Amino acid sequence: MHKFDYVKARSLEEALRALSQGGEKACALAGGTDLLVGFRAEDARLRHIELVVDIGDLTELAYIREENGCVALGALTTHAAIAESSLIRVAAPFLATACSQVGSPQIRNRGTVGGNLCNASPAADTLPVLVALEAEVVLRSLGGERRVPVSRFVEGPHRTGLRPGELVTEVRFNRPLPGSRTCFIKLGRRKAMSIARLSIAVLLRTGDGGVVEEIRLVPGAALPVPARVTAAEEILRGQGLTVELAREAGEKLAQEMVRITGQRWSTPYKVPAIAALTRRAILTAGGLEDVATRSQA
Amino acid sequence: MSLLDLKLKVNGKEYRVKVRPHKRLLDVLRDDLHLTGTKEGCGIGECGACTVIMDGRAVNSCLVLAASAEGKEIYTIEGLEQDGKLHPLQEAFMRHNALQCGFCTPGMIMSAKALLDKNPHPTREEIKEAISGNLCRCTGYRQIIEAIEEVSESASKGARE
Repeated sequence: MHKFDYVKARSLEEALRALSQGGEKACALAGGTDLLVGFRAEDARLRHIELVVDIGDLTELAYIREENGCVALGALTTHAAIAESSLIRVAAPFLATACSQVGSPQIRNRGTVGGNLCNASPAADTLPVLVALEAEVVLRSLGGERRVPVSRFVEGPHRTGLRPGELVTEVRFNRPLPGSRTCFIKLGRRKAMSIARLSIAVLLRTGDGGVVEEIRLVPGAALPVPARVTAAEEILRGQGLTVELAREAGEKLAQEMVRITGQRWSTPYKVPAIAALTRRAILTAGGLEDVATRSQA
Repeated sequence: MSLLDLKLKVNGKEYRVKVRPHKRLLDVLRDDLHLTGTKEGCGIGECGACTVIMDGRAVNSCLVLAASAEGKEIYTIEGLEQDGKLHPLQEAFMRHNALQCGFCTPGMIMSAKALLDKNPHPTREEIKEAISGNLCRCTGYRQIIEAIEEVSESASKGARE
């Protein structure tokens, strides 16, 4: 087990002061579901940590609220709280779905949305959804506050733009327009307790006559950083949704994944898998039956 | 590295312990409080053998620092027995042969208790979901699910009476 000094923050101010004093050698502890695993393994990424600032008791950072069409999640909101939230289930159902599939009940009871962001695992379940929601991270430090889109905050596998002395305090996004439908599908090696091999987050809004007005496609565990795949989105935008177009968009998304990441050992598996997941998620969001799946089955 | 002077509330009792900051709740429960019912399996939150109830929710005590547990209400398997009488879940696990080696049992029962405390009449699916973070490698899950189901059924009978 990695050894460190410890301070429990009694207020946000206290947490920011401790993080500022600790600088690069300090880190914030929220639910601990990633950090304690890393400390136990004496992970090289955590070797420099000398001070743990426990923010777990800052209940003022555990909230889910909506103000003027903006949904805000306090950084300490647990996956369980998000999955159970009636506001999230209505405003952004795929976020509730993603949170309900993180780890196990025990992990969801402790793990937080802020922690999931800062750990920045390529397989993090909430990241593709937050990118599809065009969510922003609110970062606080003694120097003030800044806001960064999730898509820019995550800079690579387990790498973020969090600066020494900063703390993620909130994640916020504009509530999707009425008529938006969402879907999140995760492909794991088993049903429970699984780490995503691949996932896909879809936000879809159709207008008059079923024409796709808005489409956001964000794969998880597929790209170095979670991002919308616009080349695949363009296939659908402005068109009437059909099974054939959803299939095409899925294949385009898979091609884009290969173009960005190159051929890897997992590519022969991931290409057909992400294409099928994407097609299925688009059709589910669009309320269409997936004919292709049925005929293949 | 300084020692932390902690006050922990476990199974309704206050304890004072002096621990180093990196000690986990699991370490303190077992090594300092000698509550060895809680087991360490994987140590990384995969197996659920160390499950305890903290402020009404099942958590992996291997992923909670002892210092983070200060000020919380913690329940371990040792807290279930009342006046020498086992908890209905413990009785049901025995009746259904829901254990062989027993290593996963304390964690399994704490997950089941966390479920029944919130939802006394769960469906079979809800039971499976509630114990999805608890691995059993020898009994198999059927007897475990049936034991939990029996307690929830008797709870529903009790509620109807």
